[in-house]
Amino acid sequence: MPQFIIRRVLYSLVTLCILSATIFLVVRFTGDPVALMAEASARPEDLDRIRQQWGLDRSWPVQYVTFMQNAFKGELGKSFNYRLPVSELYFQRLPNSLTLGLAATLISLVIGVPAGIISAVKVNSWWDNVAKGVALLGLSIPGFWLGLVLILVFSVWLRWLPTSGAGDWRHVVMPALALGWYFAASMLRLTRSSMLEVLGSEYIKLARLKGLPDVVVIAMHAFKNALIPVFTLAGVNMVVMVNAAVIIEVIFAWPGIGRLLYEGIFQRDFPLVQGVVIMAGFMIVGINLVVDILYAFIDPRIRLTR
Amino acid sequence: MFHLLALALILIAVASTAIPFSSPARAAAKGKLVLAWHAGLTSRWLDPQEHDGTATPDNFLTAIHDALIKNQGAQLYDHPALAEHFTIASDSKTATFTLRKGIKFHNGDPVTPQDVKFTYENYRGAKADVFKKKTERVEIVDDRTVRFVFKEPFLDFPILFGTANVAGPGWVVPEKYYKQVGADAFKQKPIGAGPYKLVRHEPGVKIELEAFDGYYRPVHVKQFVMIAVPEAATRVAMLERGEADLIYFVPGELINKVGKLPGVMLAPVLSGSWWLEFPGFQDPKSPFRDRRVREAVSLAIDRRAINQAEAGGLGKPTGNWINNDVQYAIEWPEFEKNVERAKHLMREAGFPNGFDVDWITPVPPFYSRAERVIAQLREIGIRARLQSMERGIFLQRLSSGLKDWPGTQIIFQGSRIAGSWSFWYEGYFKCGGFNSRDRICVKDLDGKFDQYERSINPAERKKLAEEIQRGILENYYLVPVFRHAFINAIGPRVAAQKWQDVFPTITTGYAYPWEDLKVKDQ
Repeated sequence: MPQFIIRRVLYSLVTLCILSATIFLVVRFTGDPVALMAEASARPEDLDRIRQQWGLDRSWPVQYVTFMQNAFKGELGKSFNYRLPVSELYFQRLPNSLTLGLAATLISLVIGVPAGIISAVKVNSWWDNVAKGVALLGLSIPGFWLGLVLILVFSVWLRWLPTSGAGDWRHVVMPALALGWYFAASMLRLTRSSMLEVLGSEYIKLARLKGLPDVVVIAMHAFKNALIPVFTLAGVNMVVMVNAAVIIEVIFAWPGIGRLLYEGIFQRDFPLVQGVVIMAGFMIVGINLVVDILYAFIDPRIRLTR
Repeated sequence: MFHLLALALILIAVASTAIPFSSPARAAAKGKLVLAWHAGLTSRWLDPQEHDGTATPDNFLTAIHDALIKNQGAQLYDHPALAEHFTIASDSKTATFTLRKGIKFHNGDPVTPQDVKFTYENYRGAKADVFKKKTERVEIVDDRTVRFVFKEPFLDFPILFGTANVAGPGWVVPEKYYKQVGADAFKQKPIGAGPYKLVRHEPGVKIELEAFDGYYRPVHVKQFVMIAVPEAATRVAMLERGEADLIYFVPGELINKVGKLPGVMLAPVLSGSWWLEFPGFQDPKSPFRDRRVREAVSLAIDRRAINQAEAGGLGKPTGNWINNDVQYAIEWPEFEKNVERAKHLMREAGFPNGFDVDWITPVPPFYSRAERVIAQLREIGIRARLQSMERGIFLQRLSSGLKDWPGTQIIFQGSRIAGSWSFWYEGYFKCGGFNSRDRICVKDLDGKFDQYERSINPAERKKLAEEIQRGILENYYLVPVFRHAFINAIGPRVAAQKWQDVFPTITTGYAYPWEDLKVKDQ
């Protein structure tokens, strides 16, 4: 087991290094940020001054090494535009993103899991067809469109909810619904397929042969086992929702990490983009690491597999 | 009796000069105004010391800070603000400013000539090198007077110094506080001498301000909140629901809807100019080398149709590519549309069947207006394709010069630069300019421009400025299309008879002077 954990931690570190190098290069391939920071009539010396001020005059390898050295110390650099440490900006926005991510995850679970179970239990029935339709709609309706429709209906027409921004619970409802809707569809599909697989297994057949009522078979035996992949996906989805709800956060002017990333990309704020991506990668890699270790703990076959 | 009356008058006069300007009873600021800003809120815009030279920071500077002189209303740069008055020496080698009596920063510290000197000497934003190169010293003459002494005649000083959307050394920051907290912390919690003081700042999200009762002019609205709302439909919904009182940038597709909202006024502020550029037209292989072809392009463009489609008809088809709200910009009649004549010129130039243009590239993200130009040019046989690119890439290619614009290309440029016509020329036309690089090099005009830069005679400079602009327009080196309207909307709570009451300053698309805005009694 210790060997397995060490190996997994090393894999995770390698993944983070590859991620950091990739994002470092990708943002630089998009061009020179100085073009966006200088005035229209700037002269070459103005541009040089800005480059020097931000260390952009140094070679890419030097910049990368500096970036990594600082990252290991927990410093992700200073944002070009906000003139604040990226980590400070990130943690300022994190509570909002966690709130939104949690609410959206709850919505996706509340819609996706029961609908998936019903769909699997009543396979090929009218219920199943409705659930499949909902899943298709969920996956195909763009979040930005749904967001705008929600604003129109609940803010402008009914005047029940505020259009945008963060504040009390009323501000969370629409962005969480718009964000959670897509993930609810994927939850529904996964729950359905997972339940179908479990329901077809031998131990479920045995439980039925023993004369257990359907409710008990589904709730006590099938449901618990079918939920393992569903909750794994919910965890990963939540990390994605916390870090990359870009469109929804822009539509609803939600002050979260996704919007921070959007602004960073738009303004070509290299340190900000790098920092947010690294933090998101760190979260995803961390959660996967925990899940891998838990799986290995539960199922010895996994830790014995190379 | 007469003596008593005279004595009373003298006493009144003495008392009126002794009482500080802020003491007379003023109506207390009241109400709340919410502005939905159309992009992110960048902290560096709150520090005039690092003015980036673009037209954006002045929206914020004019609320929190104040300058010695500034653009306001119809005045391009010389509206006295913190300065009660100023004089420029006839040889343009000194500029002397006298501060108003009793002016203060938001923390209660007085605004002093020393703050002015620090602000100027510490300034490191746009055009800082120009100010530094030309300035010999800054002298504190007395407790209200400060003098800038230049090494040589500095004719552009007042316009560079006094235009909020050009540079920031005239926007006075408190030396003591600035040094105490440092430049980065200042951007998070700026203290200025403007009409509004900062109450709360959520970087990138929201700025909450409160009327500063020590300002030298009455400030009418008590609370002023600027919220970043990048999505246009959300801004419109905020206006419709009464969550915002002012919104910036209503895009074309929403203009009709917003115009029909009860109590809402559209504010189509004339903004940047748009024009076509032919990169590398001097190349003998370029069809645009022939003046007749460039003129044919101009004749093929339906400017009114583009204005109608792109700005709901609220922009203005113009003649000059340089905005007429800058110094020495010339007025030029609207170019005609005449497809038959354009075809005739194409035949004369040896292109009876037209030719292919590799790409037409507009300033991102204004792709639809380039599509319209493509359709219009097709009528005279010029077949072009649209090239869209990310804004950063576009700017980078502009600054890297002709090598990034190979073949036959058209760039659909757009810009708004305040101050002087020369900033436009320097940025977008001059050989070696920041945006023009080596794409346009017209030696005789550049020669005249150098002469303009060297000249210390205002009359000669004006003459040269006009000659150069005429030279560009008569030769169709650039083909002006229209002046875009930056369309904003004003909600029913704002007290205004017409939109110009809220947007009175002609050199900007923003609603300052903020202190003049009023909300209705509720």
